[in-house]
Amino acid sequence: MVDDDTALAEMIGIVLTGDGFETSFCADGALAIDAWRVQKPDLVLLDLMLPGKDGIAICREIREESGVPIIMLTARSDTTDVVSGLEAGADDYMVKPFNPKELVARIRTRLRPLSPEGGKTLRVADVEIDVVAHEVRRGGETIALTPLEFELLVALASKPQQVFTREQLLEQVWGYHYKADTRLVNVHVQRLRSKVELDPDNPRVVMTVRGVGYRAGATA
Amino acid sequence: MSGTLGGRLLSLARRPMRAWRHSLLFRTVVIAAGATTVAIVIGTVWATLAIQSDLFDARKDQVLAETKRAVDFTQTSVNQQPTATDRAAIQQLGNSMLRNLAASSSTDLILGFPIAEVSTPDIPSAFNIYNIPLAEPMLTDGLREQVRTRPETQWYQSIALPGVDNRPVPGIVVGQQLEMPNVGFYEVYLAYPLDDVAETVRFVQGALWAMGLALVVIVGGIVWLVMRSIATPVSDVSRASARLAAGDLSARLEVTGENELATLARAFNRMADSLENQIRELAELSLVQQRFVSDVSHELRTPLTTIRLAAGVLHGEREGFDPITARSAELLYDQVARFEVLLADLLEISRYDAGSVELSLEEISMSDVAEQVAEALRQVAWEHDTELHFTGAVGDDVIPMDPRRVRRILRNLVGNAIEHGEEHPIDITVAQNETAVAVGVRDRGLGMRPEHAARVFDRFWRADPSRKRTLGGSGLGLAIALGDAKLHGGTIEVWSELGVGTHFVVTLPRGEQTIIEPPIRLEPLERIAPADGSAAGSSTRETLVVMHEPEDDA
Repeated sequence: MVDDDTALAEMIGIVLTGDGFETSFCADGALAIDAWRVQKPDLVLLDLMLPGKDGIAICREIREESGVPIIMLTARSDTTDVVSGLEAGADDYMVKPFNPKELVARIRTRLRPLSPEGGKTLRVADVEIDVVAHEVRRGGETIALTPLEFELLVALASKPQQVFTREQLLEQVWGYHYKADTRLVNVHVQRLRSKVELDPDNPRVVMTVRGVGYRAGATA
Repeated sequence: MSGTLGGRLLSLARRPMRAWRHSLLFRTVVIAAGATTVAIVIGTVWATLAIQSDLFDARKDQVLAETKRAVDFTQTSVNQQPTATDRAAIQQLGNSMLRNLAASSSTDLILGFPIAEVSTPDIPSAFNIYNIPLAEPMLTDGLREQVRTRPETQWYQSIALPGVDNRPVPGIVVGQQLEMPNVGFYEVYLAYPLDDVAETVRFVQGALWAMGLALVVIVGGIVWLVMRSIATPVSDVSRASARLAAGDLSARLEVTGENELATLARAFNRMADSLENQIRELAELSLVQQRFVSDVSHELRTPLTTIRLAAGVLHGEREGFDPITARSAELLYDQVARFEVLLADLLEISRYDAGSVELSLEEISMSDVAEQVAEALRQVAWEHDTELHFTGAVGDDVIPMDPRRVRRILRNLVGNAIEHGEEHPIDITVAQNETAVAVGVRDRGLGMRPEHAARVFDRFWRADPSRKRTLGGSGLGLAIALGDAKLHGGTIEVWSELGVGTHFVVTLPRGEQTIIEPPIRLEPLERIAPADGSAAGSSTRETLVVMHEPEDDA
């Protein structure tokens, strides 16, 4: 939990401890990366506005090394901060003031084990997905995805004939049961494409269905 | 036909009238030209008369002198002749007199009459040159009388001589006596046409008129040029003022030179500068104010999150507390939630004020959205023992809208209706036409007085401060709803009557179209007594009665 507001950090700690999570805190952005390397947490709660180093930079640095789930905390939902945070690799974000139940639900969604549907191996275009081993390959080459990106790809690939609306993906991958910010889906589809597509401007794996949403590309 | 012609003439006549009223330039030129014309007419007439009389006098003196010379010469030559005694000699003498007169004067218009009283009967009769346009009747009796009775003096008078084509030519006739020694006296008349003088006068007159006309044109032109050099800057000023008034704060005048007009332009520019500065300052102040509200709202969020989490923990544990603490925890929890709503609404309002709201438009059916909202609120309605009657639109009611905002508008209106509906049924009606889609939310509650209805969209306004609040709104809900509707280019209108109920109508346009006729009338067609509410709203179309007990909330 990286937040310079110690009262909030402590309170979140109380809530999460009550729900059976183990927490550790860092109040200074400059120290966050080191603390993360030492602690190796299962999930990072990251405030966007921090002294020392801002949340977006921290997020980007963590992403360079790991796919650990990151949930941003922000006081502003209307600024470009949210989009740049998501583009830096955050999986999800929560706008203050948030509901403790909502926070716990978000965390649980990000930490839940992926339940493999259908076969063990899925194919989309020229990409092969090994669901059990959490691996994505093109030819013999492994493509590194974060758990969220992997889940998004599996969601699409497991029903290749279905077109998913952004709302459906929000529900299935992020666990939102009500209307939420579709920017989450858009940004993560872009991130996923930048990794799995040979040409992200001309996608073959994650296809856009104009006016509806996304679907998996045809099997090559 | 004559009507249109008359109208055209009238409009032609009106155009100068209009120009007279509206154009300083036109008016000044007309006045200057008119005044010059009058001056020139007077001057020309006066000059013509003066020149005419001057020329006439000079010519008259010349004519008199010439006549005197001719008569004197003839008299002298007659006197030198030997005295004629017989009739033939006398006749010859008369003829030589006429010759001498004609030779020594510049005119052929000579008449001579013997004066019977002072002559012998031998005197020859009247003489004259043949075929001259001067005849005896043209001489007035007065002139002849004077010539006859006063032999020592020359007499003259003006005369109209017949000219070419019998057009009268002004002339002068001079009369004098001539003696034929020993025989008698003649009265002789020499007439001189003055057509050369008349010609000169005519020429001078023509030149004067031509000059006058040229002068009028020149004066008009000069006045026009001068006035234009003043009127153009003046109309520049008025144009710039109009731009400034229309909100273009950058409107300025070009300053050229150092004259009064340049001073005017400089003064105008200074005024515009000062106006611009003040407006900028005000705008900045307002921006600072808006940013302050936004910053405060944001800064409040972090501690509010902590408070909320803490309240949540306490609330979750309240069963283990003693009753007073437990109730305190509940109150804390509820009020934190209310505080949060207030803060969120305040933020939303500050966004409208800052103009930083953007719509994310989707093509959605209004009936679907309204039905979802009715569905979402059915538990609240059930808690208030209120029925919700929903009537969808017939036909295409898909418009571009930001569904989150439209939902918020409808949630707010339906929530208000439930809160103030006194447990009478509430009608939610969707309708559409070519230009717009509308939703009406009608309750049959207490209603409001007109002056209250007019203020429902004001921020933090409450009709009755003591009125119970069961749904815990922020007081900003309708202000936000109106803001949302306006962002869509639409409106929210309210009709309310005390004891009858309230009707809110949201009307949103289809795309960029302007709403010509709202699909839903603001004033409800049927006015049912509140007590009779259950009979109303039995809609003919798709009706959803939401009255059943809701399932357990997830």
